[in-house]
Amino acid sequence: MTRYFKTITRRVSAFLIALILAGGGIVYAFVNEAISMAFEAATPYVEQGFEVREDTWSGEVEPGKPLLVRHQLFRGNEYWFWAGTSWPGATVEVDIFDSEGQSVKLEGFSKGSYSGVRTLPGKTATYFVRVIVEFDPEKAAKDPELQGFNPAADGVGEFTGMVDWGLAYGYR
Amino acid sequence: MIKTFPHDLNQLFAGILVMASVSGFMLASGQDEAPAKIDLTNFPGEIVEKVVVPIPAEIFAVLDKLGEPNWGSGIELPSGKVAANDRSLLALTFGGLVGEGFIAVQAKDAEEIQKIGREVLKLSNALGLAVAVRPHSLSIIEAAGDKDWKRVRDELDSTQQTVRVTMEKLRDEELSNLVSLGGWLRGTNVVTTFISESFSEDKAELLNQPGLISHFREVLEMMEGPSGKTPAMRAISVGLARLESIVSGAEIISEEDVGQLRDITRSMLEEFYYEKIDLEASKAAN
Repeated sequence: MTRYFKTITRRVSAFLIALILAGGGIVYAFVNEAISMAFEAATPYVEQGFEVREDTWSGEVEPGKPLLVRHQLFRGNEYWFWAGTSWPGATVEVDIFDSEGQSVKLEGFSKGSYSGVRTLPGKTATYFVRVIVEFDPEKAAKDPELQGFNPAADGVGEFTGMVDWGLAYGYR
Repeated sequence: MIKTFPHDLNQLFAGILVMASVSGFMLASGQDEAPAKIDLTNFPGEIVEKVVVPIPAEIFAVLDKLGEPNWGSGIELPSGKVAANDRSLLALTFGGLVGEGFIAVQAKDAEEIQKIGREVLKLSNALGLAVAVRPHSLSIIEAAGDKDWKRVRDELDSTQQTVRVTMEKLRDEELSNLVSLGGWLRGTNVVTTFISESFSEDKAELLNQPGLISHFREVLEMMEGPSGKTPAMRAISVGLARLESIVSGAEIISEEDVGQLRDITRSMLEEFYYEKIDLEASKAAN
């Protein structure tokens, strides 16, 4: 299976997962593909009892420019944060730090267009989630597995220096 | 002063940490390690402005782990005093009702949840959002009938999110933020009530949320037009400032602090959700 086909398959499944996580109700909001990717990463954890929040963070960013999201966590809960990007060939990393900037990551995974980080907050406080999306257009252009993949034809537009990102979280 | 936690909670965390570090080692291997520390004072990127307000269920989940409160006693539906022409108060009340729904889910009270589901629909009608909210409201009622508590929680979160997104689409971001404030306030009030009844430092630590209080203060300060300057909104603004003065910089939130937080949040809710209790009159009557 080519990476192109995998990308399309993943997007369709991410869209379906987003629908399922929306509670089976009508989805009024514009479907944000980066968030759909983050929700796809969250799917196995829902089965483990994590409640995935509907409210999320998303936007566009220059590749390589780190993003910092502040969020209130409660000691006694366990959290997963999942980040996603739908840009073909882009990769995303997510990490979490306390108010002193110390890493509080317990485990994580990274699978190209989505990644996750888990933490057990040592105290109830504001924490900082760092998201970095990497994309090298020259490298992507030379990637034989992305040959023939035209983002513009896929409705995401030509590369203009920005890539999409989304961040979701769950607790239990 | 070194803060200590109850023995059982310490043991629980220690156990989880050991398991987590083992599985973390396994999962993290083969990928780039995160830096052990970053400089937050000189962050070389972009700070995301958006604040996601935790839903009351996140705090309730911890409170349940620390000893199950009598959630049923915490349900108290609003008095129906909402000024139908004041959209700011309607938005706050809407958020408060969603918060009420989360309390009723903890209590596993299907009847109250269904009542709240109907009230949510009524209020969304007054806000002109009934079309968007009706499917959620019906799902809440149905899931409560099925005693599917997780689905009720998900639907309450979705309802709030749908209302906020719809308001933002209508360029009504102020109202969207007020929905979050209403829910947070109702949740905080019930949490402070339960913690006051059975105080522990562990439970009180849940109220350490200066970042959220500061966010809500900014939201009210940024409000434009006359709706941000009504006596009710001014009282809520003053209430937030009082909450902030108690929580900010507090190393430990004391029992007395919790009592104050409970009374302040109650008086703030009385600006839009509950009837005002005339303490002087009730003292005189007694």
